[in-house]
Amino acid sequence: MANTRDIQNRIKSISNTKKITKAMEMVAASKMRRAIEAVLKTRTYANLSWRIVLNLSQTGNGNGEQTLHPLLTKRDKVKKVGIILIASNRGLCGGFNSAIINKAHNSIKKHAKQEKPEFIIIGKKGAIVKKYYDYDIAAEFPKADIISEIKEVLPIAKIVLNDYLSGKYDKIMVAYTDYVNAAKQIPRVKQLLPIDITTQDEYLGIVGKDTRVGIDKEFIDKKKEKYSQNEKHIYEYTFEPNPREVLDEMIPRLIEVQLFQALLESNASEHSARMAAMHQATDAAKDMVDELTLFYNKSRQAAITNEIAEISAGANALAE
Amino acid sequence: MPEQKTIKFEIVTPERIVMKEQVVQVSVPTKQGEITVLPSHIPLVAGLMSGVIEIVKEDGNSEIMSVSGGFIEVSKNKVVILADTAERAEEIDMAKAEEARERAKKTIKELRHFDRERFANINALIAKEMARSRAVKRWKKIKKVD
Repeated sequence: MANTRDIQNRIKSISNTKKITKAMEMVAASKMRRAIEAVLKTRTYANLSWRIVLNLSQTGNGNGEQTLHPLLTKRDKVKKVGIILIASNRGLCGGFNSAIINKAHNSIKKHAKQEKPEFIIIGKKGAIVKKYYDYDIAAEFPKADIISEIKEVLPIAKIVLNDYLSGKYDKIMVAYTDYVNAAKQIPRVKQLLPIDITTQDEYLGIVGKDTRVGIDKEFIDKKKEKYSQNEKHIYEYTFEPNPREVLDEMIPRLIEVQLFQALLESNASEHSARMAAMHQATDAAKDMVDELTLFYNKSRQAAITNEIAEISAGANALAE
Repeated sequence: MPEQKTIKFEIVTPERIVMKEQVVQVSVPTKQGEITVLPSHIPLVAGLMSGVIEIVKEDGNSEIMSVSGGFIEVSKNKVVILADTAERAEEIDMAKAEEARERAKKTIKELRHFDRERFANINALIAKEMARSRAVKRWKKIKKVD
């Protein structure tokens, strides 16, 4: 049995660790509360706007062109894919980062037959995609811990739109973590550009819905039916003043909103994940302290018993 | 009396759902001028300007809202407005709206030289506050309060 003093020291150090993890848990909890508030506020808007734009995505423009806007047009040959990866700035948040990175990696492996995709990283920890999987990183953006304004995604949205339109990328995906509730977050990869309702279900993601493919299933099914039956062109929208002008303004705005929402979802997920991880750490520390205290008492008692045995042995020897 | 036709109406901003209801008609300020949407309107997508939205509910009462920019999508029997900001008239504090407008106007007068972006921002702010006070005035007129 270990020395009493050693055990005492360990107990002390673990208690200190416990204090720290407890504090981190509290901090994460308060950040989480704010992040969740923010994410729920914008969710309706994001979902509705995403639906609208998906609705528009397959409307023909009447002059034989397939879609109304270059941002809606699927390219025949997808050469290069850009992936926006939203990770955290710091670690100690359980499987949060590895989950989203694995998800992105798997979906690349599964679907991509083209060139290696390039990553656009938000949050410091995303950089490990280079180290682990050797993907190229095109850009890296800092991430604020509390995200409040849509301004923060504007530069990212701008880069993405420009690179897409200039033909650098033929597809833009965004990998983020969908916040379902404090205990559950789902990593998800969503196709951002071109906006296209005929893409695989799992890439359509309407945020915040808890289904396996992560969409408002009914909505998608309805659309699918419609398009497959009627060779598209179901909704012939009227645009005022004209499609180009309206969409030129509308689509970039909606892309920004989608990115912003993805960022908010990730943020809420990150703080929840960190809170859960820290909670577990605190619990583990508590268990350890309990166990060590038991050992400590045992070893203390053993020492006392020893002493008594020695003394009484000594007394006996004298008496004889 | 024949059954009244209604259309689903929803107006959301990034902050909240301002209203979600069955309505009889909706008037909105689009970039090309004010339009009124009735049930069975053809599908339409348009950009919005700052201005006043007026809706008539099933019971014949109207509601007034101010809006500052955004989009309207009319699909089959559904109107969705994605507004940058929107408020119901009864929520707007008239005095504050006026005050905010005056402040913005003053800023624009005082600062002669600033960049285009800032100028556009302040102008948008003025338009927004103007829409807010117009909404309140219209609302007062309809509800006959002062």
